Amino acid sequence: MELKELIISISSLMSVSGHEGYSEKELNDIIGGEFDESFRDHVGNRFFVKRCGRENAPKILIDTHLDEIGLMVTEIKDGGFITVAPVGGVDPKIMQASDVTIYGKEKIFGVVGSTPPHLRRPDEGKTLKPITELLIDTGYSKDKLSELIRIGTPVGFAPKYSELANGKIAGKSFDDKACAACAVSGISRVAREDLAGDVYLMLSSREEVGSPGGAAVGAHNVDPDYAMVIDVNLGKTPDTPKNETVEMGGGASFTICPVTDRKMTKMLIDEAKEKEIKTQICVTGGSTGTNTPAVNLAKEGIPTVDVGLPLKSMHTCSEVLELADAESVSALVALFISSKKIAEVFSR
Amino acid sequence: MTKQEKLELLRELCLEFGPTGAEERVRELICKKLGDVECKTDRLGNLIVRVPNEGAPKMMISAHMDEVGFIINEITDDGYIKFANLGGIDPRVLCGKHVTVEGKNGLIPGVIASKAIHHQSREEEKKLTPIKNMYIDIGARDKADAEGMTELANTATFDSEFVIFGENGDFIKSKALDDRLGCAVMIDVLKRLGENNYFDLYFCFTVREEIGISGARTVAQTIDPDLSIVLESTAVADLPDVPEPRRVAKLGDGGAISLRDNSTVYDREFVRAALDIAEKNGIAAQIKKYVSGGNDAGSIHKSVDGVRCLAISVPSRYIHSPASVISVSDYLSISDLVLAIIENYKE
Repeated sequence: MELKELIISISSLMSVSGHEGYSEKELNDIIGGEFDESFRDHVGNRFFVKRCGRENAPKILIDTHLDEIGLMVTEIKDGGFITVAPVGGVDPKIMQASDVTIYGKEKIFGVVGSTPPHLRRPDEGKTLKPITELLIDTGYSKDKLSELIRIGTPVGFAPKYSELANGKIAGKSFDDKACAACAVSGISRVAREDLAGDVYLMLSSREEVGSPGGAAVGAHNVDPDYAMVIDVNLGKTPDTPKNETVEMGGGASFTICPVTDRKMTKMLIDEAKEKEIKTQICVTGGSTGTNTPAVNLAKEGIPTVDVGLPLKSMHTCSEVLELADAESVSALVALFISSKKIAEVFSR
Repeated sequence: MTKQEKLELLRELCLEFGPTGAEERVRELICKKLGDVECKTDRLGNLIVRVPNEGAPKMMISAHMDEVGFIINEITDDGYIKFANLGGIDPRVLCGKHVTVEGKNGLIPGVIASKAIHHQSREEEKKLTPIKNMYIDIGARDKADAEGMTELANTATFDSEFVIFGENGDFIKSKALDDRLGCAVMIDVLKRLGENNYFDLYFCFTVREEIGISGARTVAQTIDPDLSIVLESTAVADLPDVPEPRRVAKLGDGGAISLRDNSTVYDREFVRAALDIAEKNGIAAQIKKYVSGGNDAGSIHKSVDGVRCLAISVPSRYIHSPASVISVSDYLSISDLVLAIIENYKE
């Protein structure tokens, strides 16, 4: 599958935090063929392993989180309307007039209601309605709806993807499933005999609902020699500071901060340069805002590099990525898991 | 047309691109759907189909082709598109929506962007984003790149799916139901019309309703009708959190007939006759119970020496957004009602 199709097909899957297993079969159908084995753990992490075929080989962990932001049902009202609560950092600004899918016993289409200007009260036009006060319209009777869904049923934004200019695509949940696609693509590029170790791709759970997410448990279970965490990174837009964002089209980003492994990062940057893979650097004073600290602090400490895919309009239904950047991330993954130099220095 | 064909007609009309002032594509589609009927386009772009009966009272039936949208008023140095509204749109339905932009060579996709939640301050998180802080991202690298793709004063509108949904497929969600539904009804009525009509009929697909400077005015001035039926979409709020008096009308109870709105006081006798015809023919209809909105009747009823007007609106939730909702049965019954009025009403 081409990287673009892979990104869209994985990002379309339903995986609202806490419900990462919902699309297990579809996920296996899409990516399972690239791996030797797969398993899951108690907190919803999914693992896909590609073996190098050598005894006592180092374990290399690639983490991308599988969960996506979404909603959950809080009340079923007369006339087939429901109320919801956010799961993860959902911006109330993107809610009204959005299409959603309610994942009950059946998939149910819903529309988030909005107030047209004609019926707006004078005091109403300047305030934002909290997510919990919005009504989702299903067109069902309350009785029938109550048979199909209940409080806690997950609700996801309906997938819709558009191709913009310059190889950019817009859609939902590229955070972080586009990175999962890049990882799968990168891993599939490397022949078994060229792998520097056994590669564990961890599609981790619960990243969007608080740190550390499922990745802490997953990294503990795998206990890798070293790791790469890949997540989306905030792309530069007109309303954001340059030193808190990365350039769209600037290639895969390396976040450098006290929790990332400086030596491994430096080695990978140098190797990427040799291979002419486009990369850029993002510096933060504290942590990464990704799974890196969760992985880094597992067991006795896992040397970890933090790689980012530049993404604009993060946490909306129209997140924008650039395919050239996704290709850079994919190439970087391939480089990382085949690097004999890194394996030599960081294997236990 | 079968119900399926009527739904397909509405789907095609709703998905067509036609913000106020850029109705050409919709007009072409309507002409295509009308087949070999003689269509006349006036100097403003209104499309008129006459079913003549010389000397008989003239009845003008109208629906507007335009939909709410946007007009490009700036292309920024870094290649983003700033815009103004065409028609009344609540800023709360815009952030993160997919749009279609009029390009230099056809339509191009874009998305409405604003600051990601990660960069918003605590205060910004709670406030709605004003339209002036939003921009459309078409993927351009910089200004020159964007200017190669589109230009100032080009228009844009929502890119949203047409979905039939609900327990029994009773509802439709789409952009532009206001007022492509009226256009679909007129096409259906034209196809169902018998030979010997009492009225000299003019079916008018009008431009520029959404900005109030309505194309219907010139049509009415040219035709000088005796009577007019305006087919519209009316904003309703038949929702559990809205008190009964503010609900306006109810989805599924048939076309909403206006007594008064912000632009027109409707002809009482015509309104009563329409309600009687509905009742006698077993066609669902309801009275619009709240004074809100306005439509082409505002221009038509005061044109030339005055025109007796009737407005039949499809009750519609969340209008002027990418996701308005109507009832399938209302669409079908409005079409029946218009035909019944044409066939049964005598002055």
